Amino acid sequence: MEAAKKLLELNKVSVGFPHRGGMRPVTENVSFSLHDGEILGIVGESGSGKSVSMLAVMGLLSGNGKVMDGSIRFYNKEQPEEYTELNKLLKGELRQICGNEISMIFQEPMTSLNPVMTIGAQVEEMLTLHSTLPREKHKEEVLSMLSEVGLSEVEKLYDKYPHQLSGGMRQRVMIAMAMILRPKLLIADEPTTALDVTIQAKILKLLKKLQTEYGTSIVLISHDLGVIRSICSRTVVMCEGRIVEQGKVEDIFERPQEEYTKRLLAAALGKGEIIEKREIDYQLAPVVKAENYSVFYAEKPKNAQQLGSTLAERLKSIFAGKIRREVVRGVSFEVYPGEIVGIVGESGCGKSTLIKGLAGLNPLTEGMLTMEAKHPQMVFQDPYGSLNPSKTIGWLLTEPLRLHSIGTKEEQRQQVLEMLKKVGLSEEYYDRYPSTLSGGQRQRIAIAMAIMLKQKLILLDEPVSALDVTVQEQILILLLSLRKEYDLSYIFISHDMNVIHRICDRVMVMYHGEIVESGKTEEIFERPQHEYTRKLLKARL
Amino acid sequence: MVNDMSFLKKSKKQNKSDNTKNWQLRLGIVLVSVVTLLVVVGLFWTPYEPTAMSAALKNKPPSLTHPLGTDYMGRDVLSRVMDGAGTTFFIGVATVLIGLVLGTLLGAFTGYYGGIVDELLMRLNDTLTSMPSILLALVFVSIIGTGKYNIIIALGVIFIPSFARVVRSEYLVQKEMDYVRNAKLLGAGNLRIMFVHILPNTKSILLSTITIGLNNAILAEAGMSYLSLGVQPPDASLGRMLSEAQGYLLSSPWMALAPGMMIVLTVLGFSLISENLKN
Repeated sequence: MEAAKKLLELNKVSVGFPHRGGMRPVTENVSFSLHDGEILGIVGESGSGKSVSMLAVMGLLSGNGKVMDGSIRFYNKEQPEEYTELNKLLKGELRQICGNEISMIFQEPMTSLNPVMTIGAQVEEMLTLHSTLPREKHKEEVLSMLSEVGLSEVEKLYDKYPHQLSGGMRQRVMIAMAMILRPKLLIADEPTTALDVTIQAKILKLLKKLQTEYGTSIVLISHDLGVIRSICSRTVVMCEGRIVEQGKVEDIFERPQEEYTKRLLAAALGKGEIIEKREIDYQLAPVVKAENYSVFYAEKPKNAQQLGSTLAERLKSIFAGKIRREVVRGVSFEVYPGEIVGIVGESGCGKSTLIKGLAGLNPLTEGMLTMEAKHPQMVFQDPYGSLNPSKTIGWLLTEPLRLHSIGTKEEQRQQVLEMLKKVGLSEEYYDRYPSTLSGGQRQRIAIAMAIMLKQKLILLDEPVSALDVTVQEQILILLLSLRKEYDLSYIFISHDMNVIHRICDRVMVMYHGEIVESGKTEEIFERPQHEYTRKLLKARL
Repeated sequence: MVNDMSFLKKSKKQNKSDNTKNWQLRLGIVLVSVVTLLVVVGLFWTPYEPTAMSAALKNKPPSLTHPLGTDYMGRDVLSRVMDGAGTTFFIGVATVLIGLVLGTLLGAFTGYYGGIVDELLMRLNDTLTSMPSILLALVFVSIIGTGKYNIIIALGVIFIPSFARVVRSEYLVQKEMDYVRNAKLLGAGNLRIMFVHILPNTKSILLSTITIGLNNAILAEAGMSYLSLGVQPPDASLGRMLSEAQGYLLSSPWMALAPGMMIVLTVLGFSLISENLKN
């Protein structure tokens, strides 16, 4: 790799966006280069400028974003000794290069495909626009590319629409689109973040394969250090618009020089070290006991068979306009006082549905459920949606007390201020609005809201999944200290096995609406019994 | 760092006409303030008595003593515009208020609860909106009679559907948000969720609907009075003045020009505001 020539070079690039009349820089003096045929990782937390830098390469900056300073040089196909300065090109010229030589895949496979075009037509469009291949060969080429990226039954797939595909399949289609012109450079912006772990690993393997087969250089943008380590040869660490450190992956991961990199690594690759263990008394009466508990969804029937088998059932469903679909199928479990029970499983396995049932947000349930807490509280995944944007933090935290008429106005205020301190925020947050808070701070408020009513059971639905790794760490520690202080029990949903390992006492693995395995955390991690659990653990990077 | 991201998102929404939007909004605010100032002053003081007639001053073009001229009865046009705009504004605001309050209530309930009541009310809504609003108002007025207050009721009822529709669609979105679930878990009742938790989050969309509504109400009043179904003489209103000026359009155009310009400026001002307020 030493002798390989540079394919792309960023030299002191600063990207800015207009702000209050002037330009505000988002990245400053970003310099790195990419060699022919290598996979370079760019890692950093949200807002670190990693995506913006690569969007600048493609000329895809949104709004009035501009490359303010520096140069972006890309190798020139016709004159191998020369470089093209991408940031000086006209739009049309840049587009020519972008289609043929550079392509990009995005995080969200749900929205980056056009929903009204068939898969075949979308992939083929790339050929129509950029390729000199004769028309009649297009379909053949598309089909071979689709099977190249690991999709099966490509003939059928050709005429399907994006909504008929799973997330992983869509991402494969995106990759097929990006690779069909055999670009020299592929920019992958968080390509696996929206996917389940077992699919993540497969997509990464595919990228690696394409790199070795076609010699395509890849820039992989990710916040996930595990992803970076699994396939990149070199990596660039970014923070607040600057490059903190760059070098070979082994060096960065084993001998990080900068403080920030060390912190990032410690938070992300703690290999799921247990933060704190606590003895649980399993002789006590459980706080939750579910027996043969099922949760249903009401949905519009898709075909006649779903209406039911007997005439009476059919008539009932027709009049209701909806049928019940069993999402959680007869699960049984207990949660003991002070215990943290983790639920893992892929998206759609019914884990969120289960706790929505427990919380009482979904009334369509069957089976036995005994619960000590009258109003079990919940913390949601997205801290941007779970706090009412038009209320102040103080109002939000007082609301549970107001609703249950606890204390006088002054007492309520005192309680709220105390709670703010407990979750690690100062009193000045009382009068602020959620929009002025960061994701981590919002999640602290959401947790505070859940604890205000002093209920013993808190349901946590992916509470740290939307947060950066360093913030995740803080929230997990906060959850543990609050458990001790208020004697809480948690049901903790996560798709991240590392997080589960770090704080849960027991784990339940859900698959297709059933609990396929459950037990003490160490036991599950050391001796997984079920096939699916093994797969989950193996996919851990 | 997080600030950086929100900032990026914002700049995505703003497009290149960001600066244009800014001056458009300013112009709109200036126009509306000037018109409002005229109206407010007109409540307490007008250069002449708006209804004072004088045979000697019939159809005089604008001069220093009568800046906007006089009408066919020798009344001062400026005084009448100030007074008439006041009436028109009052009708506009009252109409929008009726539409706003009832429409919001209706939209909130149907959007939040959904179901069969929602279906029925929304189809009724469709029926109302499928007819031209001025025609519908004519029907109302012919039943309950003409006059300032009857016009307000007639127009107010017609304005309910547009507010109900906007509020309902906003509630449909908001009720699925996690903060609503959270409020439910905390034990908040449906009414409290609807009006304390969700309602404040509809204010931005309501604000632009209100400005559009004011525009439509002012135009509708002018139209009704022009057809002499609205404000009755000797009261002045912009529409009424236009209707009276019709016969003198060629000989004394200032009579039509003054109320006409007043309507144009007001509507333009509100349109500019509502168009640019959305972001």
